[in-house]
Amino acid sequence: MTKIWKETGFVGDDPWVIETEETKAGSNEKAIVGLDAFLKKVADSDETGLGVVIAPADDVTKLAPHLDRLALVAVAFPAFNDGRAFSHASLLRARLGFTGEVRAVGDVLIDQIPLMLRCGVESFAVSNATALKRLSEGRLPGIAVHYQPTAKPSTDAKSYSWRRVS
Amino acid sequence: MYRYDEFDHAFVSSRVEQFRDQVERRLSGELAEDAFKPLRLMNGVYLQLHAYMLRVAIPYGTLSSRQMRMLAHIARKYDRGYGHFTTRQNIQYNWPRLSDTPDILQELASVEMHALQTSGNCIRNVTADHFAGAAADEVADPRPYAEILRQWSSVHPEFSFLPRKFKIAVTGAERDRAAIQVHDIGLHLKKDENGRIGFAVYVGGGQGRTPMIAKKIRDFLPEEDLLSYTTAIMRVYNLHGRRDNKYKARIKILVHETGAEELSRQVEVEFAALKDTELKLPETDIQAISTYFAPPALENRAEGWESLARWKKTDPEFARWVQQNVQPHKHPDYGMVTISLKPIGGIPGDASDAQMDAVADIAEEYAFDEIRVSHEQNLILPHVALADLEPVYRALVASGLATANAGLITDIIACPGLDYCALANARSIPVAQEISTRFGSPERQAEIGELKIKISGCINACGHHHVGHIGLLGVEKKGAELYQITLGGSGDENTSIGEIIGRGFEPEKVTDAVETIVDTYLGLRRDGQETFLEAYRRVGPQPFKDALYGSAQEAA
Repeated sequence: MTKIWKETGFVGDDPWVIETEETKAGSNEKAIVGLDAFLKKVADSDETGLGVVIAPADDVTKLAPHLDRLALVAVAFPAFNDGRAFSHASLLRARLGFTGEVRAVGDVLIDQIPLMLRCGVESFAVSNATALKRLSEGRLPGIAVHYQPTAKPSTDAKSYSWRRVS
Repeated sequence: MYRYDEFDHAFVSSRVEQFRDQVERRLSGELAEDAFKPLRLMNGVYLQLHAYMLRVAIPYGTLSSRQMRMLAHIARKYDRGYGHFTTRQNIQYNWPRLSDTPDILQELASVEMHALQTSGNCIRNVTADHFAGAAADEVADPRPYAEILRQWSSVHPEFSFLPRKFKIAVTGAERDRAAIQVHDIGLHLKKDENGRIGFAVYVGGGQGRTPMIAKKIRDFLPEEDLLSYTTAIMRVYNLHGRRDNKYKARIKILVHETGAEELSRQVEVEFAALKDTELKLPETDIQAISTYFAPPALENRAEGWESLARWKKTDPEFARWVQQNVQPHKHPDYGMVTISLKPIGGIPGDASDAQMDAVADIAEEYAFDEIRVSHEQNLILPHVALADLEPVYRALVASGLATANAGLITDIIACPGLDYCALANARSIPVAQEISTRFGSPERQAEIGELKIKISGCINACGHHHVGHIGLLGVEKKGAELYQITLGGSGDENTSIGEIIGRGFEPEKVTDAVETIVDTYLGLRRDGQETFLEAYRRVGPQPFKDALYGSAQEAA
């Protein structure tokens, strides 16, 4: 089963549902739709607080004019080794300045979560058993010193300009 | 050379602990092999034909004696008493146990070394000219920039799951000894008309099954923009590089399919947004890193000229070694020494633990504690006084390390091939050994002159056959090994990809074929000064085809 995790812990009552042909958001749930459906929605309505999922081949910068309509952007890892969503998350935060929730969905594994966090991902839809166990034990396998600035704000390491500490 | 500070120590030891945890999870079965694979690869651990293989990073090929002794210690304690220096200036061990690898990494960390990103679909060890900081023709030392790139690319969260591996090489001289045009990114350090330091940027070179020469996408990139521009390239590649076919996933294919001009435009758009961010390099930081690479204080040792002449006169073998393996240093009283890891009939790039210890001792006593690994799989002592060449030579002779063949026909590059590698189709090492033995006579090698033979045991081209003056590619045909020959390749500032000369040769015939090619060259060269490559570029493949396959017969 899938649980939503943030750095503050597991989220109990997450309303978001990724809509597919079979799955639709219920009355007290919120829909995450694909990029094309989202762009249609913003053109056809004044709705705000929307959710969108960015697939690996999508151009995330198409969201730029509509950020004020968005509450959540899911970035998809269809397989853990498809790293495009790391760039999507980075662009969302550092380039577009999106301040809403960025969520990793798909093949979210424990060893990748620290990297995703640094790229500006804030919440994680986790179903992998090891990842769930580790997260519930508070054992995230990250490293506290970094050799590069990234989308997630971090502290200057008081050393060379590219170094950071979390 | 670069020395770790507290930050680096904290990083590497955290990384070792992180990997130890991953190995424990793998051994307990909690972590599946397919999920473990990219993690172990990013820590240098491969699964090969017979065993795990550990590839240790030697950033831009620079080592101290203390580090070399550690490499010897690891060979002795965890392997079978030897290690193999690679074409990416690294060393690999062929027989470690997976359960030992965290301990090996911990031992490496104690001498400021690691195995980070020597494999996997990430930014690999950054390579540089092995004569950096010593060569007379250098504009600036490329290693400070390679070190900055090494740091910045270490566990880069955005670029750890790229479509494919990514290799960066830096050269600081017009004469390219780092083969930058066959790298994913090649950086050529230069000065602009105002004397500012920057880089010509090449993208999309590579070997493998689709060899391509890199395209220059920037004539001059100011040094302060190094990280922002590199980030721009990496981001364009990460987002748009092909992921549907691993054989088309390198950036060279993206450059080829997108076109260099369009790709360059995309990179410039991304760069424009990144240029004035926190990635901009402050002059003070470049200076601070450069300080680590300041050359040793080289005293004038003019007495060496006279003693060198005397020793050469009394010992022709020493004279031959100096002639072949010592090159001029920017200080006239010094030389750059190549320690050949290509003994006649031996395995290219292999060194025993005792040999590594011996090199460490020699470097400490005579060479300012500095050793380099060249991409041609030799070791280099970059700063040796002419006055010390004779004792250095004697010590090398005692360890079987004084083969006088740098740049000659027996200075062969070869991949591990089917003797070790899980990818190989054919053996490389025995072919290298046989060619080396056939041409082993010093007189014959001297007559042939500069000739680079490079051998790969499969299409992935780790033995760089595409850029060999003579390249041999092992393929498998109907269950048997066959060697395809390419001619005219070169990995320098005039990079060219070798042309396939005709149908391949069986293992027992390939050395004869090489000999036919060499004899053809000797017969047609203008004079003793015209090298094999020059002659080939002048006459083309036909005379060689005729000699190999007969003039009437159409080469298949």
